[in-house]
Amino acid sequence: MPMSDQRFFDLAMKAVAHQATDTERAELDALLARQPELRAEFARLQADTRLAREVLPLLNVTEATAPELPAWARGQLQTKVRETFGRRPAPERAAERDALGRLWNWLPEIAPSGPAGAAEGAAPGMFWKWRWVLGLAAATAVMALLVLPVVTRSAPPLIQVAMLDTAGATRGSDTNAWSLLRQSWEKATIDSFTDPQALHTWETNWPAPNKSPVVKVVFDPATGEVRLLGRWKGDSFAKTLLVEQNLATTLEQARSFIKDRTSR
Amino acid sequence: MLPDLHALQQGDADVWDEAFRWLWPVVLAVAQLKLQLYFPDEAEDVAIETLEELVPKVREVKTVEELRPLAASIAHHRAVSLLRERFAKKRGEGKTEPLDPGAGGEGSQHEPAANDSPLAELEQKELAERISQSLAELNPPQGEVLSDFYLHGLRYEEIARKHGLAVGSVGVYLQRGLAALRRIWGHDGEQL
Repeated sequence: MPMSDQRFFDLAMKAVAHQATDTERAELDALLARQPELRAEFARLQADTRLAREVLPLLNVTEATAPELPAWARGQLQTKVRETFGRRPAPERAAERDALGRLWNWLPEIAPSGPAGAAEGAAPGMFWKWRWVLGLAAATAVMALLVLPVVTRSAPPLIQVAMLDTAGATRGSDTNAWSLLRQSWEKATIDSFTDPQALHTWETNWPAPNKSPVVKVVFDPATGEVRLLGRWKGDSFAKTLLVEQNLATTLEQARSFIKDRTSR
Repeated sequence: MLPDLHALQQGDADVWDEAFRWLWPVVLAVAQLKLQLYFPDEAEDVAIETLEELVPKVREVKTVEELRPLAASIAHHRAVSLLRERFAKKRGEGKTEPLDPGAGGEGSQHEPAANDSPLAELEQKELAERISQSLAELNPPQGEVLSDFYLHGLRYEEIARKHGLAVGSVGVYLQRGLAALRRIWGHDGEQL
């Protein structure tokens, strides 16, 4: 977006939110007088404001996590569950537990050398055989716990890089940014987007989970940010780094962060 | 950990307990949002009725994540219906006193907030879908920046400080956030 458009947007936003100073209001009025076509855009932003004030409170409360459900409401709600699903869930679960208990009790009959059999006076040799089986199973479990992390840690992260350039990718600074991204992640594919919506689709499109961590790196020149999104071992993480000194320094910070998160 | 959808669809009482605890804050907050001005005492009842209505609808959802937006949508419609009923009754009785000490009487500028809400015109399922889509598309900190600007009245500089952003990028976030809302909820509210 050209700087003058962004300036108009900022002035208009401040005006509709009654945050504009007298100077900013005068600047906006001058802009509207000079470019009457901006009046339609200003009217649209006013309509957007009404929409945002209606929708945002609903979105915010949809993520509420408190207070707790009052105890008195539980019975009424569970009655509805029973009416809807046509059975009495709690007793059924109790029946399942009873069935499991019966199965446990049958085990000595199926395998008389098991612990219950030993307790009831079975031959000592059979009892020791049973202990050997248990010991081997425990040793296998310990080996698996020791070896698995080593195997999984060795997989390098899959890095995907994207750049959002709403002004078009022809300026010198963008070429420079592209080179820096390429230097930082030589093996990664680097995608360029001019549409934030297309970038959003890219950000939410993850490869199928495998042994490697997956990290998406997004450079947004307009906001001066490098965003990191990662997924590994069923967990996800996100980090936003501001380009404060220069892009090269921020990309180095990003590399360190990725290394730290994916080597845990 | 989210409740297991399959267990909910089987009517597992324990998992439903878990789901009710998870959804309660949402439905209560939505009911309070609509009713706090006129009928704050009704919010809890609306929240309970919402969860009761949600129980059979669990068969229609494909993922457990759909339940929160759906619950919010049901609560919103129930609260708006209650407001409409009560206002209609008041009008029928010819009462003119204010509905609460801080507001005007019925027919005042406050009543249309219940009746003319563009969200109220959306079907329950459509509203749930739009809520769900908005939550998915407003990437952090886009939603927070919009709320801070529109709902909390923070200035660009305050928003930048709060979220660790450059002041110049606050406008960019606002612009993208508004574009997303416009795309999802309809241009200038016309599709609402």
